[in-house]
Amino acid sequence: MRDFRGGLLPFLLILPAIVYFGIFFAFPLGEGVRLAFTDPRTGVGPTLTNFETLLSPRYLFGDAIINTFLLSAAVIPIQLGLALVIALLVNSRFFGSSAFLYLAAIPIAISEIAAAIIWLSIFTSSGYLNSFLFSLGLIERRVAFLGIEQPAWLFGAVAMTEVWRATAIVMIILVAGLQSIQKDYLDASRVFGASRLQRLRFVILPLLKPTIQTALIIRTVLAFQLFAPILVLTGRLYPVLASETYIAYVNVREVHVAAALALIIMVVSTLFVLFYLIALRTRWRP
Amino acid sequence: MEPRRFGIQLVVVFVVVGFLAGVGVGYGVFYRPPETPVIIWSSTQLAPPSESEIVIKEILPPFEEEFGVRVTFIPEQNYATFEDRLVSEAESGNVRVTVAGGLHGDFTLLTEREYLMNLDGTSLPGRTFIPGLWNLSRTAANEQFFIPWMQATYAMVVNEKAMQYLPSGADVNALTYSELKDWAQNIADNTAMDRPVGFPAGPSGLYHRLVHGYLYPSFTGKTVANFDTPEAVAMWEFMRDEMWPLVHPSSPTWNFMDTPLLSEDVWIAWDHQARFRPAITDSPADFRVVPSPGADEGRGFIAVAAGLAIMEGAPRPDLGRQLIEYLTRPSVQALLAEKVGFFPVVEEAQPEIEDPAIAKIADGVTKQAGAPDAILATIPGGLGERAGEFSQIYKDVFDRILIAGESITTVLSALDDDLQSLFQDTGAEFPLPG
Repeated sequence: MRDFRGGLLPFLLILPAIVYFGIFFAFPLGEGVRLAFTDPRTGVGPTLTNFETLLSPRYLFGDAIINTFLLSAAVIPIQLGLALVIALLVNSRFFGSSAFLYLAAIPIAISEIAAAIIWLSIFTSSGYLNSFLFSLGLIERRVAFLGIEQPAWLFGAVAMTEVWRATAIVMIILVAGLQSIQKDYLDASRVFGASRLQRLRFVILPLLKPTIQTALIIRTVLAFQLFAPILVLTGRLYPVLASETYIAYVNVREVHVAAALALIIMVVSTLFVLFYLIALRTRWRP
Repeated sequence: MEPRRFGIQLVVVFVVVGFLAGVGVGYGVFYRPPETPVIIWSSTQLAPPSESEIVIKEILPPFEEEFGVRVTFIPEQNYATFEDRLVSEAESGNVRVTVAGGLHGDFTLLTEREYLMNLDGTSLPGRTFIPGLWNLSRTAANEQFFIPWMQATYAMVVNEKAMQYLPSGADVNALTYSELKDWAQNIADNTAMDRPVGFPAGPSGLYHRLVHGYLYPSFTGKTVANFDTPEAVAMWEFMRDEMWPLVHPSSPTWNFMDTPLLSEDVWIAWDHQARFRPAITDSPADFRVVPSPGADEGRGFIAVAAGLAIMEGAPRPDLGRQLIEYLTRPSVQALLAEKVGFFPVVEEAQPEIEDPAIAKIADGVTKQAGAPDAILATIPGGLGERAGEFSQIYKDVFDRILIAGESITTVLSALDDDLQSLFQDTGAEFPLPG
C-alpha cells in the first residue's frame, strides 16, 4: 500500500475550489454546449441547425470572422510593441517613472463603455476631430467618420480605442515580468561588454518570454470577447463575433444561436492559446 | 423566588403591551370608516415606482376628495401577474378589482373570455376622443370593453432652421415621403448639411417600428400581408434610390435621435417620443414635432394605446365609471402628459398642457393620430418569446436593402417566408393594419 501523506486532507482542501468550478464554470459551459446543439423549436438535439441559422443572412457571420481576426491582427502587435516600450521606459527608473506608470495605467480603470464614449466624442460627426480639422481649414463640412461610407475609419476608430484602452494591461504584465528579472544577468552582460540593444535582444527578451506569452494569451482571449465599444462606435457596421453574439442574444432572442456563436469564440480562443503555448515554449538547455 | 416572580410579571407586561399594540396596528391598517367606499384599480401602466407615486400622490387625491371614495392603486410590473389576478378573480366569481388599466393588447384575453363589462353607451361629455384610438377600443362586433386612456407613439422632429427650405406647397403637418425627400434635397443643395435626415438604425434603435408601422402601411396599406408585393418593391426602390442618399451615414450607429438632433448632425429625425424628448425639453424653441409622412395608401403611424376597463361583477362599477370619467378629463390627461410622458387621447387636453416642451410633443402626436388619412398600426401581440424575431425581420429588410445593398426582390421574398411562418407557427394575429 502506498503512503498517502496527509490522507484525504489535500483533497478536502481543494474541494471548495472544485465545487465552485463545477457550479460556475463546468455547468454553464455544458449548458452552453447543449444549447448550441439543440433545435430551438423542438428541443431535440444534437443538431447543427443553429449553425445553419448562423450562416443565414440574418447574421453577418462571414464579416464577423474576418473582422475579428483583422482587428486582433492589427491591434495585438501594436499593443505588445507599445507596451514593451513603455514597460522598458518605466523599468529604467527615470525620475518620475512611478508617476508615469500610474498615468499610463489609467485606461485600465476606465470601463469599456466609458472608453468607447470618449472615442465616440472624438470621432462622431459633431466631435472633436471634426472641429479640429475644421478649425485648421482642412474640411468645409462635417465628415461622418463613423458611417457607412468610411469603412477604413470605422476600423481605425475601433482599433485606436482598443489600443488606447488595453495597452495598459499588457504594459502592467510586462513591467511585472521585467522587475522579476534578476539584476545579476544584466550585470554579467554588462561585464562582457554587451550594448543596450544586445542586452535587450539576448538577455531581457528571452527572460521575458513567459511573461509575453501570458500577456498575449490574455490579450487575445479578451480581444475575441470584445463587443461593447464596437457596438457604441459602429453599431453593426463593423460586426465581430462577440457583437453578433450580443445581437443574437439581446435583439433577436435566439439564445441557441448565441450559444453556438459563443462556442465558436471559445474554440477559436482555445486554439490561439494552444498556439501561443507551443510557439513560445521555453526550453531550458543546461 | 423574587427573580422568578419578576420574570412572570415581565412576560405578562409584554403580552399585554404586545396585544394592545397588535390591536392598534391592526385597527390602523384595516379599519376604515364604513362610510368611505374603496375601489381597487389594477394597472400594467404607470407601474414603475416613480410613476406609481405620481398616481397615488397627485392623480388620485382630487378624485378621492371629489367623490368621497378611496382608490387602492395596484401597479402590476408585468402583464402575467395582471392577467393571473384578474382571471383567477373572474373564474372564482369573487371579483375585487373594479378598474383594470393596460395596453390595448392587455385586454384581448379578458375581452375574449367576457370578463369585462360592456361599456357601450358610456357618456363622456366635453371630450373628443381621437378617432383612430377610439376605433381601436371597439371590437370587431363594434362593442366596447375599454375606454382609451393614454397613448405613446413615434413621430418626426424638425429643427426650426429646416423650415425655410420646406418646398412650396408642402404642409409640414401633412407631408408625404416624396415631399420629405424634396425637402431634404433642398436642404442639401442650399446648406452645408448634405444628409439632413436621420433614423435610429443602431443595434438598439427602433427603426423596425418605422418600417412596419410607418413605411409599410403608408406605401402598401398593410404591414405583414403586403410584405413582398409590387408596392413594397416600389417603396424600397424609393427608399434606396431617393431617400437613402439624403439619410445621414451614421444612422446605423444611432440608437436615440436626441443627441444627433441637438448636435445638428441632422435637422429632420424620426424616433419614439420618449427617445427624442430630451432634445425638445433641452431647447423647445429650436424644434417642432410633426406627424410622420404619408404615401399613396395613407399615413401609417403606431399608437401604443392604453385603456381603462371595468371588470364584470366588480363591486361599485358606478365608482369605476366615475374613475374612468375622471382620468379622461382634459385637465387630468394634460397632467398625465406632463408628469409621466404619456400623451392625451382626447383632443381638448392639448391646450391644457403648460410645459412648452411637452405641449410641443403633444401637438405633433395629436395631429399625427388625428390626421384624416391616418392608418393606425399596432405592435404585434401574441408572439410571445418570438417577438424579437418579428422586430429583427423588419430591421433586416432595412439593413440588407439599404446598408448591404442586396437585391430588393431577393431580400423581400426570403424574409417574407420567415415572416409568414412566424405568424403560422405562433398562431398570432397580424398587427394592425394587417
